[in-house]
Amino acid sequence: MSNTQARVPLKARKVSFSWDGTPLHWVPGDPFTTHTINVLHLLLPAGERWFVHVYKQVLPYIRDERLREDVIGFIGQEAMHSQAHDEVLPHLREQGLDPTPYTAQVDWFFEKLLGDRTLPPGRARRWWLMERVALIAAIEHYTAFLGDWVLNAEELDRRGADPTMLDLLRWHGAEEVEHRSVAFELFLHVDGSYRRRVRTWATAFTALVFLWQRGTRFFMENDPTLVDGKASLKDFHVRGRQGLLPSTGDMLRSVPRYLSRGYHPSQEGDTAQAVAYLAASPAATAAERRAA
Amino acid sequence: MPKPRTVALVAGAVLLARGALRRRVRVSPLWPLPALEEPTSGRPRSRALRLLVASHETVAEGVVRLRLEGRDLPRWEPGAHLDLVLPSGLVRQYSLCGDPGDTSSYTVATRLVEDGRGGSREVHEQLAEGMELEVRGPRNRFPLVEAESYVFVAGGIGITPLLPMLRALPDGADWRLLYAGRERASMPFLEEVVKLGGDRVTVVEGRPDLDALEVPAGAAVYCCGPEGLMAAVAERFPDVRLERFAPGAPAGGDFGFELELRRSGRTLTVPAGTTVLDAVREELPDTAYSCAQGFCGTCQQRVLEGEVDHRDELLTDAERRDSMLICVSRSRSDRLVLDM
Repeated sequence: MSNTQARVPLKARKVSFSWDGTPLHWVPGDPFTTHTINVLHLLLPAGERWFVHVYKQVLPYIRDERLREDVIGFIGQEAMHSQAHDEVLPHLREQGLDPTPYTAQVDWFFEKLLGDRTLPPGRARRWWLMERVALIAAIEHYTAFLGDWVLNAEELDRRGADPTMLDLLRWHGAEEVEHRSVAFELFLHVDGSYRRRVRTWATAFTALVFLWQRGTRFFMENDPTLVDGKASLKDFHVRGRQGLLPSTGDMLRSVPRYLSRGYHPSQEGDTAQAVAYLAASPAATAAERRAA
Repeated sequence: MPKPRTVALVAGAVLLARGALRRRVRVSPLWPLPALEEPTSGRPRSRALRLLVASHETVAEGVVRLRLEGRDLPRWEPGAHLDLVLPSGLVRQYSLCGDPGDTSSYTVATRLVEDGRGGSREVHEQLAEGMELEVRGPRNRFPLVEAESYVFVAGGIGITPLLPMLRALPDGADWRLLYAGRERASMPFLEEVVKLGGDRVTVVEGRPDLDALEVPAGAAVYCCGPEGLMAAVAERFPDVRLERFAPGAPAGGDFGFELELRRSGRTLTVPAGTTVLDAVREELPDTAYSCAQGFCGTCQQRVLEGEVDHRDELLTDAERRDSMLICVSRSRSDRLVLDM
């Protein structure tokens, strides 16, 4: 396990986006791609709020100062991701696509199903906390995968995708690549059991696939501009080959990597590319100016 | 080998189940996940709006009024302010002084402060009609309460948050306004205020005599103006409601106060110049925080007692009633009690 890439100090950036000029189908003429990516706005506000909620509780278990600093930086970045995606939802509603029926379920999923449970303090409570820390590590494997993908998805630029939306996705993706090792290192630090890693991967992967296809179908069916909007696996596969969405092959290949005993997130993605994007991103540079 | 009859039965059962499942999903596509009754997502706390500077005009000596146009703007209540993100990235807060019911434009007015921190100069010199401006809010920390009568004290540009209040009060309401300024020409909205209030308005050039101000029992006193005026009014009428139109430079500066952490049973002192977060971390090193600048929200804590001097850029008015971001916000009272 070698971590050859330079370590960057993690900090939250106070970004803000204005959605007034973004059309409903922000990948022009391609509602399926638009809505498949839009599912992020459904899952992330509640999901990343949940990350923050769980990590606040895990702080007392961290015995390594550098890791603690990373986790603190990670928490702020995730909180900002959640806020930024949350701000897209009213914009969708204004365009006639009300996401509330779906997001209310995602809220239930993260706040109730995966929330704090009334458990006796001690082993049971710790078990549930560790299980969630491991779930986050598995999910972060995919967010880093998607972050790396979107930073390199030049096909979206070629199709004339909305620049503000691309900046949101790439700012977010770049921060995911930037902090991709934190969740896994935290999991190794506080628990690290291989069985738990496999078990939580299976749960996270199933939940992601379930929620994602459901979200895409929800958007396609409720899009006011589409008559009989449908989503199919074939649509996904075709767009993957065109480079508009992650390819099915790449996604399948990422599975054994996470399950390999020698896995470390630093082997995935490119920190230098992420840092370079953040140095040029309109939203991130505006945040930088504001902080100065 | 299973019997053909068994195979047919199982296949039939599977088909029936599939059909039932499909019908179920068709009737309610979001079956079977339950939903949270009061969803949290999709209700962002402060939406960034990009508005058009529709007019930029001088309404009194050294005072510029901006009208910012947009669509379906959130409504606001008298006393509310807006965050303007200026082209340089500076964020400044200005009281709304237009019509609260107008959802297509916001109006603010600002006085040029020669030796200020650059915000008003930028509004006066860099902004022009036709430009786009990012704003956040509106937010209200200076709400109009219900009272038998009202006494308003405005100093110069401090009239801006009070003006919508005067307009909002019912016709027969018992109110009086003391409006002070250096000279009449530099006092914005003077004409409108006098027309609105008639003899209920006292206009003073120079320093007003507060002793001459009659405050009936049960009256709500509101004041906005220069620091000196607000301090004098606060001394004379301790219950006054104040709006500082240059937040970030609070009147008393950073004074020290006593902080009780009720759940962990500790009491500590937060000295001037030290944040609540730093003081708390000395005692409770695992306290969660992240950005330390008042925007990520990680360090939000519940406030049990005391009056908070909110300096964050995140919490909504409702959240501010019983919580604070301890990384930047401080106490207005000598003692603050947190639920931690």
